[in-house]
Amino acid sequence: MSIRSGSELRGQVNLQCDAVVVGTGAGGSIAARELARAGAKVIAVEEGAYCTSADFNQREEQMLPMLFQDRGGRTTDDLAIRVLQGRGVGGSTVHNTNLCKRTPDAILDLWHDRYHVTGMRAVELAPAFETIERDLSVAEIPIAMRNRNNDILRIGAEALGWRGGQLKHNRVGCQGSGFCELGCVYNAKQNALKVVIPQAVLAGADVLSDVRAVKVLHNANRVRGLRAEAIDREGRIVAEITIDAPVVVLSASAVGSAALARASNVPDKYELVGKRLRMHPGGVVAGRFKDEVCGDKGIPQSYECTEHLSFEEGSDRRVWITTAFAHPIGTASVLPGFGAKHMSMMRSYRHFSVLTAMLHDESMGEVYLGSEGRPALRYEMNRSDRLQLQKGLRACAELLFAAGAEEVVIPATPQVIVKSRRDLDRIDWSFGKPHSVPLTAVHPMGTMPMGDDPRSSVVNSQGEHHQLRGLFVADGSLFPTSIGGPPQISIYAFAQHLSPHIIARARH
Amino acid sequence: MSRVSRRGVLRGIGVGILALGGVAALVRTSGYELPAHRRGKLRVLDAAQFTILTAIASRVCAADASDAPSIEETDVVGFVDSFAVSMPEKMKRDLLLFLSVIEHVGPLFAKHVDRFTSLGLSSQDAVLSALEANDEGLLRGGFAGLKALLFMGYYRDPRTWPLLQYDGPTISQVGSP
Ligand SMILES: Cc1cc2nc3c(=O)[nH]c(=O)nc-3n(C[C@H](O)[C@H](O)[C@H](O)COP(=O)(O)OP(=O)(O)OC[C@H]3O[C@@H](n4cnc5c(N)ncnc54)[C@H](O)[C@@H]3O)c2cc1C
Ligand code: SF4
Repeated sequence: MSIRSGSELRGQVNLQCDAVVVGTGAGGSIAARELARAGAKVIAVEEGAYCTSADFNQREEQMLPMLFQDRGGRTTDDLAIRVLQGRGVGGSTVHNTNLCKRTPDAILDLWHDRYHVTGMRAVELAPAFETIERDLSVAEIPIAMRNRNNDILRIGAEALGWRGGQLKHNRVGCQGSGFCELGCVYNAKQNALKVVIPQAVLAGADVLSDVRAVKVLHNANRVRGLRAEAIDREGRIVAEITIDAPVVVLSASAVGSAALARASNVPDKYELVGKRLRMHPGGVVAGRFKDEVCGDKGIPQSYECTEHLSFEEGSDRRVWITTAFAHPIGTASVLPGFGAKHMSMMRSYRHFSVLTAMLHDESMGEVYLGSEGRPALRYEMNRSDRLQLQKGLRACAELLFAAGAEEVVIPATPQVIVKSRRDLDRIDWSFGKPHSVPLTAVHPMGTMPMGDDPRSSVVNSQGEHHQLRGLFVADGSLFPTSIGGPPQISIYAFAQHLSPHIIARARH
Repeated sequence: MSRVSRRGVLRGIGVGILALGGVAALVRTSGYELPAHRRGKLRVLDAAQFTILTAIASRVCAADASDAPSIEETDVVGFVDSFAVSMPEKMKRDLLLFLSVIEHVGPLFAKHVDRFTSLGLSSQDAVLSALEANDEGLLRGGFAGLKALLFMGYYRDPRTWPLLQYDGPTISQVGSP
């Protein structure tokens, strides 16, 4: 009934419970809460620390290593895509930008029709979505809080007659500081850290921070528990923990859960674990405006353009466009070049508007075990996604010109500076590919997909492993495909929707 | 040797070294000296790595005008040294290895035979540009990662913020490592 740091533990520790949850982000927090509310004895282990708004300080160089996996340096193994993921109580919900969208109906229908997912269509998920949206105070972002960067996207979309709209979020009492990606010092985010974990603890869950799960214990067909390591601030192992439990819920994210399943030799007859990694990789385009944009101030993202987004599989419109302004270190890392020229460009910081084209990707990467047993990611973008990326970069440039940009900078190597919308036709867009443009992914998913056919899914439509009784997945790994938009609400809601099955198993 | 095959060979050398970690054999750690105020103070970098990183940082963070603070004032290299302490082991190894690649192999990409730290400033810029635009993703990605680390060291310093008209945190300032 508490949040405790494992760093206080020493030696061999043996614990027992009805269910152990690995990871305390969007999926894990809900699983822990629902299990505890149902009266189960639940322990949630989290490899990162327990930090609250009092620990955040809006400094990039301090918050990146504190709140993100691999100290903010996680990338695909070819170094082409930077992968940002959370580490700590609350997971990636601590530093995400709070956009809230339900899973598109078309995606849920696709999963039903093509991926044998049952009981997860819009009407069946509606109660879970409603619960989550109520608990997290999801509401439309007030138009008065739309900053100029987002207004530029709106102006561009309206000028071009492209589809767009105001987004929803989970914030209450937001001060518009603009520092969402570094954790909220004003405690305005209604996320796993602030809302769900305290509810779980209130209902009786024990949360152990600074504890890394290393192995799911199992025999041929059922789970026995979990082995974990408690780590101190320097990353040293200070205790080895064994938790006996008939139920283990993997909620360590699409990267962490798949890596743990692999490290545990979870049965995998069809070699699916860790495969089919999608992550919505995105590239950015900056427009330089005569007047100040001040994109670092205010709610970072509040408007989207969905003109180039459709959810049909194989569609040639798979680009989701929104804004993507960064603080100085993030901006400097993405702008091409170095030295005096780079610094001159940085001086336009206040005059840049920055958009991102995120792919509703169909390329399939893989999570595997890298050196020292740490999760590693392989992801090669296929031709079709490369074309989508090129289309997306061009669409961002068009939007910026339509909104009045004086010039558009595409941070490619070599960099592309475009002076007018007409010039966009003269560009050979084939430069738009990994390594030539800096890419970032913040939505890993799909590595332990659900479905009722064991040949194409790792867990069934109740979230339970096809072969290992008592092993559940409740995080972004569950998605059979990418979803083409912000995933947190889907993940929270899927965990909510699947929790009766987890509870039923824990009671047996 | 044709241009294409020469490039191919260079790429092969760079990537092979990166992949195998064989650069250790190439590294000459003698002949590099730490400034007196750094002796005994560094936590990760040795004298050679400190010297190489200082040379790279002075090009990556080179100023466009006199109002920009220097890498010494902002202690960019000292920052990277302390940041590296708690980096995941593999990342730390890759970082140190990449410094050696830049020092010993990087110059070849810009048709120089001397070590990076012995080159003139414009030749050093040419080497770094060649790495940034290299066909080989690992070299390009490695440079992007190093650049990000150096810019973190530079733009974390509030003295650089007026250049960007960046107002900084909305809460009262907290010390930086
Ligand atoms: C910068 C950024 C912005 C984003 N913005 C949005 C947005 O606006 N809207 C949106 O919908 N989504 C957004 N997302 C994505 C969203 O936050 C994630 O998709 C979501 O939180 C994933 O939920 P999860 O439960 O799968 O994993 P996470 O929330 O990432 O939680 C996983 C947890 O498991 C822990 N863990 C991992 N391995 C282990 C282990 N072995 N042992 C113990 N613990 C472990 C991790 O430390 C982490 O705390 C954003 C993400 C980022 C990085
Ligand atoms: S913009 Fe709002 S939610 Fe984001 S960090 Fe600032 S106060 Fe918090």
